[in-house]
Amino acid sequence: MSQEMFDKLAQAVIDGESEDAEALAKQALEQKLDPLACITNGLTVGIQKTGELFASGEYYLPELIIGADAMKAAMQILEPALLSGQEREVTGTIVIGTVEGDLHEIGKTLVGTMMTANGFRVIDLGTDIPSADFIDAVKESGANLVGASALLTTTMLQQEKLISSLKDAGLREQVKVMVGGAPVTASYAKQIGADGYAEDAISAVDLAMRLIDAPA
Amino acid sequence: MIKLEEKKASIKPIKSKLKVEVLNKQEIDGINQGARSVMQDIGIIFPSKKALNIFAEAGAEVDFETEVVKLPADLVEKHLKKAPRAYDLCGRRPELDAKLGQDKGTHYFTSGEAPKIVDFETGERRLSVKADIANMAKVANYLDIVSLIWPTVSASDKGVAAPLHGLEACFNNNEKHIQTESVMDEVSAKYAIEMASVVAGSLEALKERPLHSILLCCIQPLAQDRGGIESAMVYAEAGLPIGFMSMPTLGLTGPPYSAGSLVTAFAEVLSGVVLTQIINPGTPNFVSIIPSLLNPRTGAYFMGSSPAQITSASAVQIAHSNGLPITACMSFGGSQWKLNNWQIGIENSWVHLLTVMSGADMSFGPSGMYEAVSLLDMQRIMFDREIVQAIDIISDGIEVNEQTLALDMIKKIGHHGMYLSQKETAKQTRKLWPPSILFEPPTNSEERYRNPVDVAHETIEWILKNHKPQPLSDDVRKELRKIVDTADEDETLKKEVQGAK
Ligand code: B12
Repeated sequence: MSQEMFDKLAQAVIDGESEDAEALAKQALEQKLDPLACITNGLTVGIQKTGELFASGEYYLPELIIGADAMKAAMQILEPALLSGQEREVTGTIVIGTVEGDLHEIGKTLVGTMMTANGFRVIDLGTDIPSADFIDAVKESGANLVGASALLTTTMLQQEKLISSLKDAGLREQVKVMVGGAPVTASYAKQIGADGYAEDAISAVDLAMRLIDAPA
Repeated sequence: MIKLEEKKASIKPIKSKLKVEVLNKQEIDGINQGARSVMQDIGIIFPSKKALNIFAEAGAEVDFETEVVKLPADLVEKHLKKAPRAYDLCGRRPELDAKLGQDKGTHYFTSGEAPKIVDFETGERRLSVKADIANMAKVANYLDIVSLIWPTVSASDKGVAAPLHGLEACFNNNEKHIQTESVMDEVSAKYAIEMASVVAGSLEALKERPLHSILLCCIQPLAQDRGGIESAMVYAEAGLPIGFMSMPTLGLTGPPYSAGSLVTAFAEVLSGVVLTQIINPGTPNFVSIIPSLLNPRTGAYFMGSSPAQITSASAVQIAHSNGLPITACMSFGGSQWKLNNWQIGIENSWVHLLTVMSGADMSFGPSGMYEAVSLLDMQRIMFDREIVQAIDIISDGIEVNEQTLALDMIKKIGHHGMYLSQKETAKQTRKLWPPSILFEPPTNSEERYRNPVDVAHETIEWILKNHKPQPLSDDVRKELRKIVDTADEDETLKKEVQGAK
């Protein structure tokens, strides 16, 4: 019975059916199924399968995003129902955003989506994000990763500022900082004291795994 | 071979005898109505207090909370009408003026602000610096297919005032019209206009002959950039030309249909035009629509694709139906591919043939860029030039008249003869074989021609060494230096650029 529900949840994610995923999540709670098990054995399995289909070229980006949205929809029902002390297993938690003054969102969103599909908890702050907001989000979420995107020669300077703000806030040891975007290079990342740079979303996931020593 | 001799800067727009009209009247109306209903019913976000107040006063429906401005169709019509269809983007001398809407053809310009460059000496990729802007401005001054320029790369060595350093490097090394796409805040805008005024002689002289203009991007979907809009308002107050660009990515930041993406794109750019016309009626405006696709596996940005480019060619008709000049079609710089690769060749050839055939007023032309305008390789501009030259020839069609029908000659040569010995042949051969980097005699017998990359390299090397753009007077140079120095130290500029949140 519970396995049937897990399978349905997984399938809703694979099919990208947000409404179904949400309805199933509600049903699961009505049937008193363990919300954590629903997440781990249902949604996570679904998003992993979606990620595999994307990696193999079967799925295109829209399907990946729609799948992640379906997962989110069900998660919104299941997460608040977790018992105290219960926590969903995640590869890591990343706070990601595009730095202040910069409105380019495509690359940052893609990185976030790929991280979600690879089991990370992703807190996507959006674009034009001041350092202070990154700091607040890290404190609130206990994240172990920060991702800062910058697409302009004039805003990449904000990545450096973010790193020094993290230091000032005493959070630099807690998080690994990844940077990216068109004007950013590996040597620039090194120069400003970031922990890593990735050229695209797929290598961003690899980098994140390496930085937090997660099993690939 | 390109004839390498020192010459004065000149420009050569490309006028096409071949025409293409993608849309019929009904389709044009459909897109225009769609854009108007989006402006009226959904509205556009203008995240600027000043802009919101101006709209409210002009009779638009403004929500100060959400910053959404809804523009009734009659208000749009009333203000669009004031924008001129024809005007000049002036160079330092009248021969260098890009005459828009005056039947001169398509003016090509360098796209710009790539954050990275292939080092000309070492061939390695690195962040671009101010000296690179100066070099490329010089090359663009020399090549006549370039009608106007953007700073082609960014001055990563100059901090937040980088856009102004870029302009300084251009003014000092290029006599053509100089447009910015990176002066995107109110404070920098004032400095930029001050610089242009110094070059022109005075603000009045600059208004009379605008040798500087701005292009800003709307933020897809259906929003504007605070900094960009506030900068544009400063340009509008000064009466300088202002372009609004929309870059919908089909199925990402625009609907997955060409028509739908044109609807959102025109709603965005026309709302910007309306604002600047309210501020200063008669402001020279233009629009630019750069559609793209994303690679559905990697997300990579892809401008040179066929669906995107036919969308861009269609945009020309929409812009003209609204009485506005347009910068259309972008592949030079949009391509993802490496230098001297057949894919680049194909992409750029048909895209730019479409540009001139659709009658675009301007197009991002020879720029030496690739990887979606994020990397400059100076050598590549010689390949871009080659393609534009081919398009120039093709779009001229063929000439049919008494001379070219050549019946006399045909009679004279008769059967089995050769036309090689004819004086007219000698003259025509020059036209049939224009300057090119493709057909240089080889240096070793294994090859038929020299590698054009080497020829391009040598050409650029020669231009950098020998071409001397007409210099600005010492006083003007010093004045420009002083302005940029002041900007470097200006705390309000730092605050503006680094976000005022
Ligand atoms: C699309 C685009 C826009 C769109 C953005 C739409 C949107 N909603 O996001 C619009 C039209 C709004 C726009 C506006 C502007 N843009 Co723009 N834009 C681009 C363009 C063409 C593509 C960016 C993109 O989306 N690429 C696709 C994604 C998938 O790739 P990506 O962003 O590089 O991200 C990948 C990697 O970099 C990496 N990555 C990215 N972030 C991160 C973060 C981390 C942590 C990691 C690990 C990895 C990582 O992984 C991503 C996924 O693979 C670039 C050129 C370019 N090649 O980058 C110019 C570009 C960045 N823009 C530029 C400019 C100048 C502007 C404007 C100032 C133009 C203007 N005159 O108004 C405005 C600025 C607005 C603002 N305040 O931010 C310049 C920057 C020049 C410079 N040297 O500073 C560029 C380089 C183009 C150019 N040469 O003119 N732009």
